[in-house]
Amino acid sequence: MSTKHTIAAARFLKNKENEAWHDHTLWMVRTKRDKMSHSLPEWERLRELASEIKLYSNSHLDTLLEEFEKNAIANGAIVHWAKDAEEHNEIVLRILRQHEARNLIKSKSMLTEECHMNEFLMSKGIDVVESDLGERILQLMHLAPSHIVMPAIHIKREQISEMMEREMGTEKGNIDPTYLTHAARKNLREKFLHADVAMTGVNFAVASTGEIVVCTNEGNADMGTSFPKVHIATMGMEKIVPNLEALGVFTRLLARSGTGQPVTSYTSHYRRPPEGQEFHIIIVDNGRSDILAKPDHIRTLNCIRCGECMNTCPVYRRSGGYSYTYFIPGPIGINLGMLRNPEEYSDNVSACSLCLSCSNVCPVKIDLGEQIYRWRQDLDKIGKASKEKKVMSFGMKFLMERPGLFNTALKFAPVVNHLPRFMVYNGLNAWGKGRELPAFAKESFNDMWKKNKVR
Amino acid sequence: MSSRDSILASIRRHTGVRHEMPELTLEAITYADKLATFSEVLAGAGGKAIELRPGEDVNEVIRREFPEAKRIASNLKEITCATFNPDELTDPRELNGTDVSVVEGSFGVVENAAVWLPRQVRYKGLYFISNALVILLDKTQLVHTMNEAYRRTASMDYDYGVFMSGPSKTADIEQALVFGAHGPIQVVVLLK
Repeated sequence: MSTKHTIAAARFLKNKENEAWHDHTLWMVRTKRDKMSHSLPEWERLRELASEIKLYSNSHLDTLLEEFEKNAIANGAIVHWAKDAEEHNEIVLRILRQHEARNLIKSKSMLTEECHMNEFLMSKGIDVVESDLGERILQLMHLAPSHIVMPAIHIKREQISEMMEREMGTEKGNIDPTYLTHAARKNLREKFLHADVAMTGVNFAVASTGEIVVCTNEGNADMGTSFPKVHIATMGMEKIVPNLEALGVFTRLLARSGTGQPVTSYTSHYRRPPEGQEFHIIIVDNGRSDILAKPDHIRTLNCIRCGECMNTCPVYRRSGGYSYTYFIPGPIGINLGMLRNPEEYSDNVSACSLCLSCSNVCPVKIDLGEQIYRWRQDLDKIGKASKEKKVMSFGMKFLMERPGLFNTALKFAPVVNHLPRFMVYNGLNAWGKGRELPAFAKESFNDMWKKNKVR
Repeated sequence: MSSRDSILASIRRHTGVRHEMPELTLEAITYADKLATFSEVLAGAGGKAIELRPGEDVNEVIRREFPEAKRIASNLKEITCATFNPDELTDPRELNGTDVSVVEGSFGVVENAAVWLPRQVRYKGLYFISNALVILLDKTQLVHTMNEAYRRTASMDYDYGVFMSGPSKTADIEQALVFGAHGPIQVVVLLK
């Protein structure tokens, strides 16, 4: 029953120490989230409101985006629309070329990952610098994020120290996180001061005012936009919220859910560009409007990218972000991957125990686990059902419909208890991997019942 | 058709049930001692709240907190310990190397110790570039939650504004908390 996920997860599990650390650390973040949510009596009401506001805004995207555009233009912003990743990247390149920009300082954006923007711009000769510390570490190590909020959660400090010694000339063998962080601060300070253009993602776009809101802990988005004359903000179109009052619901939930903080250090509101400067906003579709036509999966558009579904997921915690084949891992990534391309990303739907913990903690109440279940029901239709499971289901059906055969099989089942290990624990028996099987009882329940042994 | 029009057309074509906007009724938490809770939450976020004693001079407190500071930036008249007015610079890059910046906050939010800073300096970089940031705040200007905060900002005009809760921080190296990723390493809120 191997999927690409299980094969990659087996690789992750080989390092027991790292696996235990990963599991424990993410669970600690989940525990912090619980402490935060319990400190607010209105927590569940906030989740309910957040979900309902998103259902409203995602079913009124046309009017809200038009309202946002009108207000943003009135504020002096330049608004662009991109149908897909390619158009998005071309728009960014055009703006950079207009300003003869050689380098771009950017803050974290899952959308630019989705569009493979960095690779594209670098192939056109633009020096793209990630400024979020985790993202910068990964960029210099030529690696992809393994978590949407804690991108370098899978990297150990020794590896970071080694890379920084090579790239920034830090002391050999110094693995102190404060030392390394402050060395990166010094190194990136120069990049901030001398960038030609700044780029940020968008956490929320407020329709009634035309402003965008960016949330960071490091302050890198704000540092980035403080020196260049041009700021490009890029947003998936579901980032829209109707007004400031609605925004208040989300800014109360986002960091409490994602990292267990009452709020991020910086919740920055960009409304008008400073005099003589340019503020570009790119509104991106890239498949989002198609999701509107799928009522079973429409709630994935509620997502505010807090990352909580990853922290709580027992499969994610014990298999790591790289085990998933879509660039967003965990429960939300499984669903978004299937919406992107079910044939390509169906390997991830098995990475779920259907415990539904994700659905229970999601701040915008996406039915994450339930949707994964629905995708599994459809696997056979797209020819992606597991062959072993199909054979087994067929075998079970055959057996269940023939009571005589079933009872005979049961009678001989205890034989398994005495088989040599290699015959029971092998590649054919997925249930014997990493665990011991229970012993078959000598007598079946049926036999015991007939002999009146069951009281 | 422009991309704009084709995206809007696709949205209209695919939108099914149009849900109503919910009524934003909410019994939000209130804090009995706003000042004490604000200070406590700020400490949790890595910042420090200092309540000015009657008759105490702001400049004395700043000097006491940052005895080593050489470059102190402020455009506020009452900050006589400032060594330069950041608004007089012609390039925000010249702010680099500032030890302490002193700015004024509009109001604070008790539930998360954020202070609303609508841009009131020439370069917003001032809020982020110095090693330490001192925010002067009227202690009567505290609201309970972000819901209340946005009801206040709704009537304000600003080109840029930030809710700032404590210093810049990161935990990107093995989840070890470090202050001063890019922005201020220390944040002091001086409550007057």
